Amino acid sequence: MSKRPFLIRITFLIVLILFITGCGPRMITKSEKFPLMYEETPASILILPPMNESTAADAKDYYATTIQEPLSFRGYYVFPYEVTTEILKMEGLYDAELLKDVPLTKFREFFGAEAVLFSTIKKWNLSYVILASTLTVSIDCELKSTKSDQILWRYNGTVVVDLSGGSSGGGIAGLIVKAIATAVASAMADYVPHARVANYRALSSMPYGKYHGEYMKDRELKIIDQGATTSAK
Amino acid sequence: MRRKLGFFLLVFPLSFMAFGCAAPKMYYWGEYSNSLYSCRKQATEANLIKHKQILENIIEESNKRDLRVPPGVYAELGYIYFRQNKNDEALKYFQLEERTYPESKVFIQRLSQAAKAKGDIPKSDEKLPQKE
Repeated sequence: MSKRPFLIRITFLIVLILFITGCGPRMITKSEKFPLMYEETPASILILPPMNESTAADAKDYYATTIQEPLSFRGYYVFPYEVTTEILKMEGLYDAELLKDVPLTKFREFFGAEAVLFSTIKKWNLSYVILASTLTVSIDCELKSTKSDQILWRYNGTVVVDLSGGSSGGGIAGLIVKAIATAVASAMADYVPHARVANYRALSSMPYGKYHGEYMKDRELKIIDQGATTSAK
Repeated sequence: MRRKLGFFLLVFPLSFMAFGCAAPKMYYWGEYSNSLYSCRKQATEANLIKHKQILENIIEESNKRDLRVPPGVYAELGYIYFRQNKNDEALKYFQLEERTYPESKVFIQRLSQAAKAKGDIPKSDEKLPQKE
């Protein structure tokens, strides 16, 4: 009779220890990870055309349509991408590869932007493994200060979607149905909704800006520590 | 009895997460992102007209819901008028952007100057330099 509570207690303890010692991802508070965001408190962000390291040529144009809206919800003044890219184009600057060499103070003088957002499309592809296919969208984001040139915030958002559809019963017939379903799903694969999710994942770690009710109140909020993510440069 | 307690312990925080965090929405963006995506896929006249209507709809709905118009929307609409040479309309929206978001001042002044001059966007004094 007295053994049972003991067992329960032990199990509980083990679970607790596992929890604390962190088999899961390492967590860190926002202010520990991105102290400069709280020091500089940039109010406005200019989104630069994304750099594309994926194999899909059209990823850049499509991805660019997904970032302005979620970024505004973080509480920053976000310059209208459609307008600012056109102006940059007139200046001969459409290629992200050229843009990254422009001194950041120029964006401050030209637009009044306190920070600029560099994004790099790392992955935007389908991969096939026998009868399954997965879609991957992976985005590195980096916010840089136009005042101090420092990296204020940096995070990655990745989405992996299994497109094979649910199991469709056993046997050869089932496999064939599954293969057809995969082919159809891949042909119609639409990256943009997944890119939006990737953005939300990346941006969720960004400290809130002045137009958000939680501005300066999210210092202790814990996020997953991604370590030193690869630079967007 | 234990089970019930466990159930409640699980459900309570969950319900808080589900309802408690439902702060009033900051912005109404409507179909903005989808419309822009359509324009990218096919830059047809019809899609561009629709995009302008989407912008107007965002302003209308935001006012109706007593929300701040999302950043950049006034400016983007103003820029469409600017390109159509409707400079008075353009200036009106540029000013609305600046009044809503003082952070846009430098940018808006540049656009307004161009609309007043009815010319191209004035270039910066020097070209944005590019490293070799």
